[in-house]
Amino acid sequence: MTKEALRLHGVRKVHGTGENQVVALDGVTLSLSAGTFTAVMGPSGSGKSTLLQVAAGLDRPTSGEVFVDGREMTGGETELTRFRRDRVGFVFQQFNLIPTVDVLANVLLPAKLAGRRPDTARAEEMLGRVGLGDRLRHYPHELSGGQQQRVAIARALVTSPAVLFADEPTGALDTRSARDVLALLQEAVRVHGQTLVMVTHDPVAAARADAVVFLADGRIVGRMISPTVDAVAERLAHLGDDLVRG
Amino acid sequence: MLSLALASLRHRRSAFTASFLAMLLGATMVMTFGSMLDTAVAPGVDSASSETLITMASVVGGWSLLLVAFAVSSTLALALRQRATEMALLKSVGATPGQLRRMVIGETLVVCLAGATAAIPFGWGLGHLLLNLLRSTDQVAEGVTHAFGPIALGQGYGITLLSSLAAALIASRRASRQRVTESLLEARAPVPARIGLVRGLCIAFFLAAGIAQAVLTATVMYGKGSDAMQTAGSADIWFAIGLSLFAPLLIRRVPAALPPIVLFIGIATGTLSMQDMDNRAAAAAGLVKTTEQRNIETLNLVVIAMIALFACIMLINTLIAATAHRSREFGQYRLIGATPGGLMARVARESLALTAVGAVLGTAAALVTILPYSYARTGEWTPDLNPFISPAVLVVAAVVTFTTTLATTRRVLRTPAIRAVFA
Repeated sequence: MTKEALRLHGVRKVHGTGENQVVALDGVTLSLSAGTFTAVMGPSGSGKSTLLQVAAGLDRPTSGEVFVDGREMTGGETELTRFRRDRVGFVFQQFNLIPTVDVLANVLLPAKLAGRRPDTARAEEMLGRVGLGDRLRHYPHELSGGQQQRVAIARALVTSPAVLFADEPTGALDTRSARDVLALLQEAVRVHGQTLVMVTHDPVAAARADAVVFLADGRIVGRMISPTVDAVAERLAHLGDDLVRG
Repeated sequence: MLSLALASLRHRRSAFTASFLAMLLGATMVMTFGSMLDTAVAPGVDSASSETLITMASVVGGWSLLLVAFAVSSTLALALRQRATEMALLKSVGATPGQLRRMVIGETLVVCLAGATAAIPFGWGLGHLLLNLLRSTDQVAEGVTHAFGPIALGQGYGITLLSSLAAALIASRRASRQRVTESLLEARAPVPARIGLVRGLCIAFFLAAGIAQAVLTATVMYGKGSDAMQTAGSADIWFAIGLSLFAPLLIRRVPAALPPIVLFIGIATGTLSMQDMDNRAAAAAGLVKTTEQRNIETLNLVVIAMIALFACIMLINTLIAATAHRSREFGQYRLIGATPGGLMARVARESLALTAVGAVLGTAAALVTILPYSYARTGEWTPDLNPFISPAVLVVAAVVTFTTTLATTRRVLRTPAIRAVFA
C-alpha cells in the first residue's frame, strides 16, 4: 500500500571505454517503499557506491531507468540538479561543509541555491533536531567530526527530500559519534517517515536498517529483512562463496 | 628530495604551467631590455647610440625588472599555496621542514631554469626587433649590431631565480609552520582577513617607494621635460604593488587575482597617459613634430604596450590558475544543488567585484604617475588627459577578467561533481 520512493529498472553502468571497460552495475532492478531504511552492502568494487551515485542522480546510468518519487530522472546536469534539489538529499563520508560560512548558513545554502526564500526557522529546528541548536554561529572547523556530520545531515534533511542517500556516513567517525549519527538517521526514518538508502561496509550500521541489499560484481546477490549484526556479518563473509558457486 | 621534487613536477604539470609561463615571459622581457645594455657596451658603438640604449635599458628595463620580480614571485606563491594539502601529506608520512624546504626549492629551481632558458630565443628575437626599431627611428646609429650577452643572461636568470627563490622560501616556511593535523583537516579554518606584520611592512615599503618616485618627479624633475618619465614611470608600479597587497582584506574569492589586475590597470593607464601628456605638451609648446619625434612616440608606445601586454598575460595566467583550483569547491556547491548556470552567474558576480576593486586601486596607482608628471612637465596639477585611455584600459581589463574566468569555470565544470569532490 505504501508509496514507492525509489525504483531502479535494469540499470547498467559501464566505466571507461574500449579495453579498459569496467562494468560497475550489471542490470540492477530495485524498488523501495517510502519510509523505509535500506542498507546496501558488498565487498569493495561491488558497485555499491556507483549504485548510490546513479540512484541519487549524481551520475547517469549507461542504460536503464531511475525513478525517484514516481518521476524519471533524465536530462543534463542542470535538469538533474533541479530534480535533485526537490527530491534527493545526500550525506557522504566526508562532510563537505562549506568552510567559509557558519553552520546555520551551511544548512540554509540548499534553499538559497535553489532560489527559494531560506527558511531560517526550519533550519534552526533541523539543527536542534541533530543536537546542534546552540552551535548555529560556529564555523565547520570549530566542530568535531561527528558534529560536522550532524550538520551535513541537517543540511540534507532541511529540503524534505523524497529519498536521503548516505554513503558510508560513519566511515570517518569514532564509535561513539558513529552511534549518534546512526541514531539520528534511524530517527529520521522512524519518527519523520524519511526514506533512507545507506551504503556501508559495517554490519553494526547495516543492522539498524529495515532491510539489507547485498551487491557483488555489480549485481544484487541477496536481500535480508530485519537484519541482525551477526546475520549480516555471516552473510557478508560468505558472499564470495555464492559467487564461486554461482 | 630532488627525485620527489621531479616526480611532483611530472605529475602536476598543469599546476606548474602557470609558474613556468610567468618565468618564461618575465625572463623574455628582462632579457630583451638587458640585451640593449649588451649592445651599448659592445666595442665600436658611438656614445650617442650607447647613451640612448643605456637610458632605455635602465629606465624601461628597470620598470620591467620590478614588474617581473613581483609577477614571478606572486605566481609561484599561488602555485605553492595551492599545494598545502600535498605538503601536509608529506609531513604526515614523516617529511621534516628541512626536507620540505629542499623539495620546494628544488622544484622551483627546475621550473625557473627551464623558464629562463626557454626565454633565451624569445629575448634574443625581441631584442633584435627592438634594436631594429631604434635604428629605423634614427635613435641608434645604423652600424650598431644587436648583441645578446652576459647582461641579458645575467638579468634574465638573476631576476627569475631571486624572485622565485624568495617566494619558495616564504611558502615553505608557511608550510612547515602549519601543524599536520590542521593542514589535513577538511574543514580548514578560512584564511583570516587581516594584514600580518610582514605584509604590513611590505605595503608600507612599496607605497612609500611609489610616493618617493612621485615626489622626485614633482621636485627634482620639475621642468625637465620628458626626462621626468624616468621617475614618474615607476611610481605607479610601486604604488600598484603596495595597494594590491591589501587583497585579502578587499576580495574574498580569488584574492590572488587582484595584484595582476591592479598592475595592469595602473601601468597601462599611467604610462599611456604619461606618453599622451608628453605629446600634448610638445604640441602646446608650438613645436612642429619632426619625423624623428613621431618615431620616438611610436617607439615609446611599443615599449609601453609590451609591458602592458606582460601585465595582461599575467592577469590571464593567474585567473586560470586560481579558477582551475576551485574544482572541489564548485563540486561541493553542485552536490547541494547549484546548477552549472548558477555557478557561472556566481563567478560572474565575483569577476565584477574583482574588476571594480581593481579599477579603483589601479586608477589610484595610475594617478601617482599622472599627477606629478603633469606638474613636472606642464606646471599644472590638473592634466589635460585623453578621455579615452582610462575607459579603454578598464574595458580591456573587464573583458579579459570575465572571459578568462568564465571560460575556465566552464572547463572546470566539465568534470562530474562527484569526481571533483572525491577524486
